[in-house]
Amino acid sequence: MPDKKALRIALVGRPNTGKSSLFNRLTGLNQKVGNYPGITMERTTGLAKWAPGVLAEVIDLPGVYSLHASSTDEEVVMEALLQEAPEERIDRVIGLADGTNLKTCLFVFSQVLDLGLPAVLAVTMRDEMERRGMELKTEELAATLGCAVILVNTRTGEGLDALREAVLRAEPSGKLPFFQPGGLHLRWLAQVQEDQSMALPYRAWLWGLKEAQVGKSDRLQQPPPRARTDEAIQRYRQVNQWLRAFFVADPVKDRRWTARLDRVVVHPIWGSVILFGLLFLLFQGLFYGSEAPMNFIDDQLAALSTWLTDHLPSGFLAHLLSHGLVPGIAGVLMFIPQIALLFAFISLLEESGYMARVVFIMDRFMRPFGLSGKSVVPMVSGTACAIPAIMSTRNMENSRERFLAIAVTPLITCSARLPVYALLIGLVIPNSAWMGMNLRGVVLLGLYALGFVAALAGSALLHRWMPAKKTPAFLLEMPPYRWPQGRNVLTAVWNRTKSFVTEAGKIILAISIILWFLASFGPNRTPDFTQERAPLPIEESYIGYAGKAIEPVMAPLGFDWKVSVAVVSSFVAREVFVGTMATLYSVDDEDNTTIRAQMAREVNPRTGQPYFTLAVGVSLLLFYAFAMQCASTFAVVARETKSYRFAVIQFIVLGALAYGVAWIAYAMLV
Amino acid sequence: MFLSDLPLGQRAIVLQTPDSLPVKLFEMGCMPGEEIELVFAAPFQDPMCFRVQGTLISMRRDLAKLIPITSPDAR
Repeated sequence: MPDKKALRIALVGRPNTGKSSLFNRLTGLNQKVGNYPGITMERTTGLAKWAPGVLAEVIDLPGVYSLHASSTDEEVVMEALLQEAPEERIDRVIGLADGTNLKTCLFVFSQVLDLGLPAVLAVTMRDEMERRGMELKTEELAATLGCAVILVNTRTGEGLDALREAVLRAEPSGKLPFFQPGGLHLRWLAQVQEDQSMALPYRAWLWGLKEAQVGKSDRLQQPPPRARTDEAIQRYRQVNQWLRAFFVADPVKDRRWTARLDRVVVHPIWGSVILFGLLFLLFQGLFYGSEAPMNFIDDQLAALSTWLTDHLPSGFLAHLLSHGLVPGIAGVLMFIPQIALLFAFISLLEESGYMARVVFIMDRFMRPFGLSGKSVVPMVSGTACAIPAIMSTRNMENSRERFLAIAVTPLITCSARLPVYALLIGLVIPNSAWMGMNLRGVVLLGLYALGFVAALAGSALLHRWMPAKKTPAFLLEMPPYRWPQGRNVLTAVWNRTKSFVTEAGKIILAISIILWFLASFGPNRTPDFTQERAPLPIEESYIGYAGKAIEPVMAPLGFDWKVSVAVVSSFVAREVFVGTMATLYSVDDEDNTTIRAQMAREVNPRTGQPYFTLAVGVSLLLFYAFAMQCASTFAVVARETKSYRFAVIQFIVLGALAYGVAWIAYAMLV
Repeated sequence: MFLSDLPLGQRAIVLQTPDSLPVKLFEMGCMPGEEIELVFAAPFQDPMCFRVQGTLISMRRDLAKLIPITSPDAR
């Protein structure tokens, strides 16, 4: 039914043209975040009713400078626009142009028009144009392009109705072509058109050049050199003519704010000071700002758990709900404050135009590690929690860098390691002074440094080993500074949080229930759910047996069966180590000092000395520094990379690394 | 002279560029005959940020080393 099918409308334009603002305006919160087939790039679509009986499916394509493929972004856009299958075909295109920087925007738009798709040009930043005394003769430009040209203001919504109307009425431009290849190029193009029976020259041109670039078409004749270059020169010549005829601007007023701000923001010294100040704020915000809401969520769910225990007849079901399901839900909800905070922060950076400057400032420093400045944000966020940090890599365009960042982020010292570190440092490191500083503090600081060093070194190694595909040249536009739009920040936070809860959340919940089962049941004893304490002693649960079973494996690290059980059970989350130790040593309250005192009394049956020696403590500390002991991280990695294989390999590699380092440390210290 | 030699705040004209350069450079607006200005640079002049055709484009030094320029008076 053609009238039932949604009208597929693609947004095409350069980055920083207000594309996502327009997208949010056109679709509201009714957005779906998915993936493009085969690659890990995000694809956002939104459904909206535009007129009686007209459903519009708006597709937010990545921002590009040209339809020719220089990177995955352009490939995605070109593939979408060349699509011919009826259910995948693009029906209408909204081309975007930043009204204050029309030249390069019109370049891409003239390519879109040449594809013969019904298109409308939306000129954004209308308010800024007015403020700067810029004037665009839209009617004349529309007549020349053969398509509607609409001025829009995404802040106020001005011009959106006219845009929607124009899109519904749009037809292919009758003014084609805007680019005419000459000489050898023309002869080659005619050949491609004939071979592929493509009627439209520009379609054949794009397709033929792409095939030649990938080098997979032996039948295809190689195109003569400088094809894309000649196209660029011809198109720019044309665009310059249009602008001379239809655009009035005052070049002196142009971008004065951006230039003034950039004098400080990318200054060799002040730039770094500002960047580190902002990163420090981010760290503080994630660490302390999320504390209150996290405690609130924790308290509410703990109360719910108690309520369930009190009001349900004690038994299997009550225990499953109060000790399996509710903590599982808590494990999902607990991350929301940090995720929301981090994405609000990132969205502000991107919206304001500052993120491009971060990449610029940090590029030289991050380059040896195969990373760009964009990785600074996940690295810093990782000190709070790896979950939001790994999710934040979504904003990276370079999939190779994203892979590296996801692979090494779990090595950064996150806040869940702190309780474990605090317990162990208090146990084995003397409370003495070292070079005027508290030794315990120095060790903790050292563990933080170790996390960063391990992450960067790991990334550098992977960068060396991984076969480098063609890396796109580092060419980055510095967008002008703009005041962020609250609507866009809120949409970004909402989409990220929603996708975390509905996608990674499911996996986290499933893993916590499985682990509850393994901790509550055992092979040789029926669990007793009627009493107040654990249904069976932990050493008789499956986890307990697993811990004892791997004791011989863990022995070279100095771990006895109790420590092994705690290590296995803290796969749920690292901080569970403390609770498990408390259970194993039958300490009732989970206060750190009490557990520490009890652990300090533990005697090694072989030596008759205290069991927790420096060697055991350091070995455990290092094990926790490297191992990916976190089910939620595992779930998020699997979801973000769309690959359980990746998550499993990462888990194994980091586990092996942890084992090796702890082993060496123990062997050297014992 | 090459783009990497341009002093801060100075303008030049882009000369014919070698075919080996990424075409994206052209498509972003940096093409022969255009005026180009070094707007700011990171420490050790790497990366560098240029204004060309009204857009700020930053690139690494090794790429800027490959782009020949001439002084604006030569035109």
